Amino acid sequence: MTVGIQVKQCLASLKSAQASLETFALNTQNKQAKQTYEQAATITSSVVNLVSQRVKQLEQEEPQYKGL
Amino acid sequence: MPVWIMIAIRSLVALVFLFVLTRLNGKRQISQINIFEYMAAVTVGDIAAMISADVNEEFIPGAVSMIIWATIPIALAWLSLKSKWFRDLSEGRATIVVKNGKIMEDNLKKLRYSTDELLEQLRVKNAFNLADVEFALLEPSGDMSVLLKSENQPITPKQIAWQVAPQTESQTVIMDGNMMDEPLTTIGWNRERLQLELEKAGVTLNNVFLGQISSSGQLYIDLYDDQLTPPISKEGKLLFALLKKCQADLETFGLSTENPEGKRTYEKCASDIDTVVQSTKALLTR
Repeated sequence: MTVGIQVKQCLASLKSAQASLETFALNTQNKQAKQTYEQAATITSSVVNLVSQRVKQLEQEEPQYKGL
Repeated sequence: MPVWIMIAIRSLVALVFLFVLTRLNGKRQISQINIFEYMAAVTVGDIAAMISADVNEEFIPGAVSMIIWATIPIALAWLSLKSKWFRDLSEGRATIVVKNGKIMEDNLKKLRYSTDELLEQLRVKNAFNLADVEFALLEPSGDMSVLLKSENQPITPKQIAWQVAPQTESQTVIMDGNMMDEPLTTIGWNRERLQLELEKAGVTLNNVFLGQISSSGQLYIDLYDDQLTPPISKEGKLLFALLKKCQADLETFGLSTENPEGKRTYEKCASDIDTVVQSTKALLTR
């Protein structure tokens, strides 16, 4: 049984990672590196979506984990 | 006019003249000077010395002579550029001395190159064993070019399919405590941005002797005070560690959840993040 808090923490870390990847993409001069970072940020954002959906499901099942 | 003033004037004029002539030659001559150009250059210097010091000679004829000696090599070099035939005639061709690991003794004889000289030149190029040499050429300039056998060459990342981060040249943005505007604009930064980075590192501009920005946008600084070490940017490594942690957490959730749909979701997420980790590994941990 996954604990809701831990999943939410993971979600927050993933959002932070996505933002950092996008920052790196903006900072770097090299085109190849830029592309790699942007792709990585896109994949991470899709993962963020999946995990958010999972969090919603968890909140429905266990209402005590609702909210921050 | 006293003699020494005349000599001073002549020397100064000859010096400026010499400088103008040598600058006309350009950069090529310095690195690839052949024996003819070298001797012509020495002669030009000699004439300059003569007209500076010898008051009995007239200045103008000496200057004319200098012009001839300085410009003919330039004209010949230009002609070499236009005509391959002339190039082969004046500069000569490279001679093969080692081919397929075997010494070409006939070529050595033609060049009047002794075996000792051959071995010496190979050693200069770090080839101490003839067994390691695949191919060696003696260039017209007198340098020897050595190609080692591929098994004796150092490994490149390409050969072992090791992903390395692409790297372009760094820009030097701070020199002797001054900000350089041109390199800054090349990487799209401005002075305020650089100042912000310096504040983040906790130093002021007058502490910094040299500042360079790498292709990844990272600022490296060298301070006047050799006791202090400036902080190294760890953002890339922190992000990498964070991504690995997320991946591990997602796998844990996948294992601990009982809901089969949840399991699938977590497993997919874990493998996606793993893809991200692998693709950015080289970039973040360089």
